[in-house]
Amino acid sequence: MKRRKFDVAAVPGNTARAVDDRFQVATPLRRLLNKVFPDHWSFLLGEIALFSFIVLLLTGVFLTFFFEPSMTEVIYNGSYAPLRGTPMSAAYASSLDISFDVRGGLIMRQMHHWAALLFMAAIVVHMLRIFFTGAFRKPRETNWIIGSLLFWVGFLAGFTGYSLPDDGLSGTGLRIASAIMLSIPVIGSWVTTSIFGGEFPGTIIISRFFIAHVLLIPALLVALISVHLGLVFKQKHTQWPGPGRTNGNVVGERMFPRYAIKQGGFFMVVFGVIALMGGLFQINPIWLFGPYEAWVVSAASQPDWYVMFLDGSTRLMPDWEIFIPIGDGYVIPPLFWPTVVLPGILVGLSTLYPFLEARYLKDYRSHNLLQRPRDVPFRTGLGAMAITFYVILTLSGANDVIADKFHISLNAMTWAGRIGLLILPPIAYYVTYRLCLGLQQHDREVLAHGVETGIIRRLPDGRFVEVHQPLSAPDEHGHGELPYAGWVVPKKMNRLGALGPAVRGFFYPIEKPAEAPVSPGHPPVEPRAERAEIGSGEKQS
Amino acid sequence: MTSDNDRRRGLLARLRGRPVARSRGRRRLGAAVRLVAALMLAGGAYTLLAPSASAQDNPPLSTAAADGKALFDVSCVTCHGRNAQGVEGRGPSLIGVGAASVEFQVSSGRMPMARQEAQAARKPVVFSPDEIDQLAAYVQELGGGPVVPAGDNLHADGNVAIGGELYRINCSQCHAFSGGGGALSSGKYAPSLRPATDRQIYAAMLSGPQNMPVFGDNQITPEQKADIIAYIQQTLNSDGDPGGFNLGRYGPSTEGIAIFLVGIVALVFASLWIAGKS
Amino acid sequence: MSTHTAEPGHEPVDLNDPRLSRFDIVREGARRDDIEIVHYEPQVVPGSKAERRLVRTVAAMFLLTGVAATAFLVIYIWWPWEYEPGRGGDKLYTPLLGVTLGIALLGIGFGILTWGKKLLPKEVSIQDRHEGVVSSDDRLITGETMTYMADELGVKRRPLLGVSLLAGLAPVGAVVAAPLVGGLISQPHKNNQMFTTGFAPRDGQKIRLIREDGRPIRPADISAGGQITVFPGVEHGVSNKYADSPTLLIHLRDADAEESRRNNEREGHGDYMWGNYAAYSKICTHAGCPASLYEQQTNRLLCPCHQSQFLITDNAKPVFGPASRRLPQLPIEVDAEGYFVARSDYTETVGPDFWERP
Repeated sequence: MKRRKFDVAAVPGNTARAVDDRFQVATPLRRLLNKVFPDHWSFLLGEIALFSFIVLLLTGVFLTFFFEPSMTEVIYNGSYAPLRGTPMSAAYASSLDISFDVRGGLIMRQMHHWAALLFMAAIVVHMLRIFFTGAFRKPRETNWIIGSLLFWVGFLAGFTGYSLPDDGLSGTGLRIASAIMLSIPVIGSWVTTSIFGGEFPGTIIISRFFIAHVLLIPALLVALISVHLGLVFKQKHTQWPGPGRTNGNVVGERMFPRYAIKQGGFFMVVFGVIALMGGLFQINPIWLFGPYEAWVVSAASQPDWYVMFLDGSTRLMPDWEIFIPIGDGYVIPPLFWPTVVLPGILVGLSTLYPFLEARYLKDYRSHNLLQRPRDVPFRTGLGAMAITFYVILTLSGANDVIADKFHISLNAMTWAGRIGLLILPPIAYYVTYRLCLGLQQHDREVLAHGVETGIIRRLPDGRFVEVHQPLSAPDEHGHGELPYAGWVVPKKMNRLGALGPAVRGFFYPIEKPAEAPVSPGHPPVEPRAERAEIGSGEKQS
Repeated sequence: MTSDNDRRRGLLARLRGRPVARSRGRRRLGAAVRLVAALMLAGGAYTLLAPSASAQDNPPLSTAAADGKALFDVSCVTCHGRNAQGVEGRGPSLIGVGAASVEFQVSSGRMPMARQEAQAARKPVVFSPDEIDQLAAYVQELGGGPVVPAGDNLHADGNVAIGGELYRINCSQCHAFSGGGGALSSGKYAPSLRPATDRQIYAAMLSGPQNMPVFGDNQITPEQKADIIAYIQQTLNSDGDPGGFNLGRYGPSTEGIAIFLVGIVALVFASLWIAGKS
Repeated sequence: MSTHTAEPGHEPVDLNDPRLSRFDIVREGARRDDIEIVHYEPQVVPGSKAERRLVRTVAAMFLLTGVAATAFLVIYIWWPWEYEPGRGGDKLYTPLLGVTLGIALLGIGFGILTWGKKLLPKEVSIQDRHEGVVSSDDRLITGETMTYMADELGVKRRPLLGVSLLAGLAPVGAVVAAPLVGGLISQPHKNNQMFTTGFAPRDGQKIRLIREDGRPIRPADISAGGQITVFPGVEHGVSNKYADSPTLLIHLRDADAEESRRNNEREGHGDYMWGNYAAYSKICTHAGCPASLYEQQTNRLLCPCHQSQFLITDNAKPVFGPASRRLPQLPIEVDAEGYFVARSDYTETVGPDFWERP
């Protein structure tokens, strides 16, 4: 019998056929491969958060192999001599072991912590992009709400993680957290003892935080992130206005191969940056903090940066205690307002904002085109106001470090924060609003009069004028007629041109176009007629 | 208990030659002896000090102290007054502060002060080590007070683990876990411990300069002081950071700055490049 | 934006036509997903100098990854990594791992990116969103189907079913919540724990003030202008079990003590000091941090967490920052053996404020 020759080349085809016979994936797979994504640098900010979350999962799993979430007292006997013989919790001892006795454990711990900071930073930067470009408008309100929730869930993930090592700094944070819970009117003491399993600190909080940190919160994060991405996929990404871009289409690249390759490469870059930071910058040196003891504290005790604004609001809060003279009397401590009420208001405001704005503008249509921040001055102003508010609180969270290192009085820093918190946000609003109007005006000016050419002409009467290059055929008054398209207006001669930037190169311009590539198999497809009619060039990033 | 403990112990220390208490039993015995001695000395000290307040007919100064007085009269007298009795609103009296205080203030350059401010800052040192010794001898002979034991290395047999524990209970609240110092109220601050020498740390604990509380030898024994100094010098100041650049050891505040200035900036540049149309 | 079917010149393609190139099929596939590839331009000429240079660059990045990853492994295995005091080679272990790992990952990342960005053809595709294209027919049909199903269930006609189902399910929901809430909940006032500290006298025995190493404290142990952290002299007194008990024992100077006594008198704490010694809770009344930055000349006590400042000579009154309540004062005296004891427990609640504190 003649053996049938095994045809290697046919294997992929046969496998594909076999798979499709069983699962009928050809059509959905084609849809997936073909899905078009618009390309702009600011659309990659959310990916930074997504990718650092993946790094968090990877490094976090490693850490769980060695971490012991227990508050049982042990005597440390590991490699770090300055703590040998010190009684401490098993959680802290195992965190020290990860840092000093597990080979490569320290870099994993540091990468985990840096990835956490990056996760939160990327969420904030991504949210700012969404806010300032109006990407939260209908139909994407749900995704905006999920995004805001992701910040707060990430906040919880970060805080529980910060508490786990049970070192001197994290214990202080936990102590403050217990005081915050305690400050809630009526139920405060019940909440605190229920969570801590008795009076602070109890013996169980680390194990409870551990299961929240490694299971409950990550599960919630994974769920929210999945819905978040699923909605982006379903609703398709927003895009900037521009040539051929309308509210009803998406202009960009198909997902495969180029877009997917860029995403994969970007993941590696994010991972690489976290690895570099994890190796080169020391973070949270718990061995200097010692075990948590209720009587030990350090000057400049701070939480991680994304919690610092709450620390700042607490520092700025005046000592206003509300006394309720019923029976023996009850109190609402001053701690309650900046740490429970303020975050509550912030959550409410941020989640409701899309609806508030739609109501205010009476705009209930769907929007898939982004807005330039300058075109919606009131929103940009509100954003600037919010940023100012947040930055002042965050700086106040570190006001003792600032006071110490810049030789400013600590009390003066507190007062500067209190006053600044009240007067700077409105100023930021006003300045931003005027800036937006000015930028708008300049755009309109260029559209009406053309681009400055730099050529100075002397008129017969002796005056000098600069020659402007009109962007379209001028009318009898010499004014252009192009309407503003919501996108970059070219303001330099070498930015003129209908399609894309004329100048190439990232860090420095490549003046000469490269040799024109010709591919016989894939002849360039002609642009459609409508692309030619729009004049504003694309932003070169 | 209203008499000045510092002064009493300083005098005792001078009499005994070394301000050391060893075992618990001996310490108790020492305390009893000290108490009796103190009572006997209280009158003696008074007669010793009271005339010195009225100046002129002092007991003769040693050679070193005399040299120190000469220096004092040139550089310090403006604020601390004749015979170091202090000038209201400018400088405190130095009677009874002891050589430890002089050594701390002058060898760290804090004294002489450049100007009146919330707190004297560490500056380049004005006097030579010999001159500092002379000044110290002068102030010591004026009114006694705590003295730092001899030698430059005061942590030779200190235990860093014990020192670390003591440091975290007694020192870290102001000088921070990292030894980098921290802010106090209204412009005052606890200085960084990085430039401090063994003798300066010891002197600071003994004399409680400016707003620092006094940690006398009864509270923190000389052995414990050696432990603390060992922890500061060997662990905080000389142990390298195993995790890379320490970002100034300011804690989460500089870490937060780093994640934005390094992490976010690098990745935004990367995304600019990725999405760029080159 | 119209779909491809409305475009002129785009006839349906016969996929079996042998003249079709692979790109034609790709484009046809895209059209079936309402995608028009409007611009598709190779960036490099195959075989050109530019292409060869780019390929070399990408290959170099991949090889760099290999070198860096190998270096990582070599360092991981052979570099002396165990902790030694000082600034030895072990302090370079983590940075070297980070640098090699970072380079390896960045190499592969930028290699892939360059490959995709520079070597693959540039394209511009336009896809329709199909928003609002949901046919009103579909909405109608789905809506009717759901209403029909609800009708079939007949809850309206048979209300008892609905009511009884709800009545039956409600406790089931409570059953889910009960173990969670019931297990976690803990009575905050068990043993009066929120209002007592380790200094509460036991069996009529006054509690000694002890140091962190368990030794009791004599007045002579603290110099004037000095302070010491003290703990209740009970079992586990120096542990987090008594997290509310750490106390600051301060030896005031004569004049300060005089002023302090005067102010204590006014607050009804006239006899709480012993001589020039005063003891105040170390636990801040604001958020519970150890407020222990004692300034011996100004007699201010600063809390490092939120900068509340307490004036010790004025019975630890909060003079700056968010704290609203004085630090509780511990009444102290010296027992027959000459050691400090607490005359009684704190007479005010120690620690951060809460609702039912008064």
